Amino acid sequence: MSLLKLKNIYRIYQIGDIEVRALNGVDVDVEKNEYVSIMGPSGSGKSTLMNIIGCLDTPTSGGYELDGMTIHQEIKDGSGIASDDQLAVIRNQKIGFIFQTFNLLPRMTALHNVELPLIYAGVPRLERLERAKAVLESVQLADRMYHRPNELSGGQRQRVAVARALVNDPSIILADEPTGNLDSKTGHDIMNLISNLHERGNTIILVTHEHDIAERASRVINMLDGKIHLDNKKK
Amino acid sequence: MFNQLYESIIIGFKAVFQSKGRALLTMLGIIIGILSVSLMGTAINGIDNVFNQTLGMFGDDVLYVQQFPWFMGDAEWWEFRNRPQIREEYSEKISKRAESISYASVEMNRRVTLSYKENNSEGVDLGGRGWQSAYIDAAKIQSGRYFTQLEDKNASRVILIGSEVHKLLFPNVEDPCGLDIKVNGLKFRVIGVFAEQGKIFGMFSIDNMAVIPFQTLKAVFGRSQWLSISLKTREGFDKDYALEEVRSITRGLRGLRPLEKDNFAINQQEAMEDELGKIKTSIAAVGIGIAALSLLVGGIGIMNIMFVSVKERTKEIGIRKALGAKRWVILVQFLFEAIIIALIGGLIGLGLTSLLVGVVNKFFVASMSLGLVLTAIGVSIGVGIFSGIVPASQAAKLDPIEAMRYE
Repeated sequence: MSLLKLKNIYRIYQIGDIEVRALNGVDVDVEKNEYVSIMGPSGSGKSTLMNIIGCLDTPTSGGYELDGMTIHQEIKDGSGIASDDQLAVIRNQKIGFIFQTFNLLPRMTALHNVELPLIYAGVPRLERLERAKAVLESVQLADRMYHRPNELSGGQRQRVAVARALVNDPSIILADEPTGNLDSKTGHDIMNLISNLHERGNTIILVTHEHDIAERASRVINMLDGKIHLDNKKK
Repeated sequence: MFNQLYESIIIGFKAVFQSKGRALLTMLGIIIGILSVSLMGTAINGIDNVFNQTLGMFGDDVLYVQQFPWFMGDAEWWEFRNRPQIREEYSEKISKRAESISYASVEMNRRVTLSYKENNSEGVDLGGRGWQSAYIDAAKIQSGRYFTQLEDKNASRVILIGSEVHKLLFPNVEDPCGLDIKVNGLKFRVIGVFAEQGKIFGMFSIDNMAVIPFQTLKAVFGRSQWLSISLKTREGFDKDYALEEVRSITRGLRGLRPLEKDNFAINQQEAMEDELGKIKTSIAAVGIGIAALSLLVGGIGIMNIMFVSVKERTKEIGIRKALGAKRWVILVQFLFEAIIIALIGGLIGLGLTSLLVGVVNKFFVASMSLGLVLTAIGVSIGVGIFSGIVPASQAAKLDPIEAMRYE
């Protein structure tokens, strides 16, 4: 059974008089423990696809099932479409985000940043601290827990973000250009970290426009004009 | 749930303290609003306290037959001034004829200077009262005794003094009874000291007084133009009944015909109550007016700053929502920020009030109460909710993608 199933997804924006078809009929299935990278030129719809998979956005039409849950139904009958708050719960419990710009809260320590998803999951304080510390240790940041983002290097910040993505034990990790703001050496380290996560059994979907990064994945999806252009599974 | 609520409150607190200066400026309106509400409240409390003191002074079952009513305009004063005088014998006549009156006494007053050795007390309100006053007067005697019927009849030179006079003349004598003092140079023996009654409106002491028998005052200083008759309602009689009975007897004593208007006044404590009620109402009206206006302006100020705060933290809101914060979590976070600003403003206002109460008490009456503190806190929270709800719900509804893109 597939972990993630997108069927005939459309995402249409109306900007003034112009209709923009950011996604124009996309079908994707992702299995558990796959490592998928999504490539494509800008405007190809890869970020929109990422947002829909990440439950940050909802499709205009099409069906989306994640981990056995219907997030959006192919044929709209009003049921099976998650509300704003339900989407928040799904994001909190099923999805771990790694962003290009890290998106850490600047006024909080690394530890508190990692704790956030657990706070929103309602995990009691002591358990929260324990889990956040453990996951920070696993990304080699045990000695930086009480530092704020502006006291950390870019690579360290992204590792905090990775820790934050992992802390709730999500079904999928979504990484949107995770090395985009890092130098190549640090980017390489982060990619190794992500490969490690995959080896440990995580499902990973990665958006990038760099070939050598995309090639690390076991499956590369190429997007063009809101559609899937190529879908290569490596053996 | 509690975790998230707690987190939201902490975030709200931090947000306020991260921009202290801005928050403080924003609070000004609330500070002024709460200050005026609570100052008004303290003044009204103060008036109530004064009223309770005057209860002790007048007694609620006593009627006073006098030439003037206690509260009147200037124009009326000139009219009432020409009324025939109240006469000494009314006291005896009313008490004989009115079944509803148990005791009646006559009183007149005069300003005198009291002295004991080198100590002086000037401008003392000296009352000459009938012996029956012992049963009418509500003022308590702390030590010594009232004068007797015989002392009144014989115009004995005995005197009871108020606590203020006691302090001035005998700073080191605990009980001055039996000592001789001089009243405008004439020797009197102290036979009693009244218990302290306090100050009316914090301005004039009602303890700077002394009482001697009516006949003594008349014999020594002569008859005064303004006499007052004090009447105690007999137990079991309705006060309104007593008032009507006294009125008709007094009309008879003054030879008024049925259609003529009263040419005297019957005063009672209720008149004081009514007058204080009027003062209270006008203080409340002014206070509430100023308070409502400044709370409104303060509330709008907070609302404005909250819109700014939401704008500034748009990216943060986006990140929090992406990580799983539900709408209400974001709503509570910003609502608490607004409530905290308003509440701190309110507490500062209350703090200032408690400082000012001391100052106000120098020229007027004021007193804080728990009810007042709770009201002020409640109003502050209300203003916080009022001004925070719109910005907070705007924040809660933000789209996470757009919010995260915001720089």
